[in-house]
Amino acid sequence: MAAMTISREEVILHSTKLPSFPRFVTDILAALDDPEGSITVLANCVIRDPVITARVLSMANIASARGRYAGEISDVYTAISLIGMGQVRQITLVSCLGAFVGGVAVQGMPTTFWKHCVAVGVCCEEVALHISAPVSSDAALVAGLLHDIGQLWFYTFNPELYKKCWHQALTQAVSIEEVEQDYFGVNHSTVGAWLAEHWTLPTGIVAAIRGHHVPDSAPGDTLVAMVHVAEVLANALDLGGRDENRVTYISTAACELLELTWDEKIRPLFGRIEGRSRHANGFFPAEPKH
Amino acid sequence: MRTRLSYIPISDAQEGMVLGAPLSVVYRGMLSLTFPDGHALTEENLHQLSAHFAEFMCIELPDERSDEQVAVDAAASANRVMEIFNGVDLSNPTMASLFDQVLLYRSA
Repeated sequence: MAAMTISREEVILHSTKLPSFPRFVTDILAALDDPEGSITVLANCVIRDPVITARVLSMANIASARGRYAGEISDVYTAISLIGMGQVRQITLVSCLGAFVGGVAVQGMPTTFWKHCVAVGVCCEEVALHISAPVSSDAALVAGLLHDIGQLWFYTFNPELYKKCWHQALTQAVSIEEVEQDYFGVNHSTVGAWLAEHWTLPTGIVAAIRGHHVPDSAPGDTLVAMVHVAEVLANALDLGGRDENRVTYISTAACELLELTWDEKIRPLFGRIEGRSRHANGFFPAEPKH
Repeated sequence: MRTRLSYIPISDAQEGMVLGAPLSVVYRGMLSLTFPDGHALTEENLHQLSAHFAEFMCIELPDERSDEQVAVDAAASANRVMEIFNGVDLSNPTMASLFDQVLLYRSA
C-alpha cells in the first residue's frame, strides 16, 4: 500500500510551481512537417531568446570563418541559411529545455539530472541514425530530453521524500519506479506523461515518456523502444557523471524492434554516443536560476 | 608502441592526434568532410572540423602505461561496469550480450 496516492489533477495543479513549459518546443514540433512555416517559427523562437540567438550566431560565425562569407554574421536568418534548419532546431530545442530544467531551483536536486537527460537525448538521436526504422530525430531528441521530467516534478513536490526515494533505490538495488510507487502511489514515467499531455506535446512523445521503463506495454512503438534503450545505454556507458547510473532491465522485444544486436559491431555506436554526449553537455549546460 | 582507441569531443582534439577510425562529417544532410583512418590531424583540419560542426572523433592514442597500470585500469573499469550492472539477470541473453559489449568497450 502506497504511503500516498498522487492523482493527475494534483500533478497538473502542482506543475504551476515549475517554470512555464517553453512553448517554442511544441511550436517547433508542430511545424516539423511544414518547411515554410517551420523556418518562420524557428526564427521567431531564436530571435526572442538572447541565449539561443548567441549560440546560433556563434555557430554561424564559426562556419563563416571558412571564408565564404565576408564579415560577421549578426542576423538570425543569415545564420539559419548558413548552418541549416536541423542544426538551429537542435540548438533551440536543447537550449529551451535546458533553461526550463535549470529554472527549477530545488535544494538537493542532483546537478547531474540535466546531464543525464542530455545523454539520453543524444543516445536517442544516435540510435535513430543507427537503425533503419524511420524516426524523426527531433522527436527522438525531445523524448530523450524529457523522459525523466516526472522526476523533476517529484523534486519540486517533496524534495526530502524524493531524495529518500533515490537513496533507497541506490542502496537497496531496487528500481526508482518501484520506490516511487511505494511512496507516492505513482511513478515518474506516469507523472511525466501527465505533464507532457498537459503541455500538449505530440502523443508519440507522451507515450515514450510513459513507457520508457516498460516498453513491452507499447509493442511496436519505435519511439518508446528507442527511449527505453537510450536510457539503458546512457546508464550502461556511465554517461552524465552520475554515481547512481544503474542498469536494471533491458527489453529484448525493444532491441528486436530496433534491430539492435549487441555484438562487437555495436562498439562504434557506444563511442559515438560517448563522444557526442560529452560534446553536448559542454555546449548545453543547464542554466541555473538566478 | 601499444595504442588504444578513444572517442573524444571535438573540443578535446589536438593537432597531431591520429584518427583511429574514418571520420565523416555530415553537414546539412550531405557528407561534407571526410578523413581516413590513420590520418594525423593538422591545425587546418581542426579548423575545418569546427567549421563543419564535427562533434566527436575516434583517435588512436599512444598507450604508454606499464602492463601493471593497464591491468589496474582494466580492473577499475570492470569494477565500475559490474557496479552499474549489479543485480541484473545475466541469464537473459540480451542483457548478457549488452554487459559483455560494455565490458569489452570499457576494457579496450
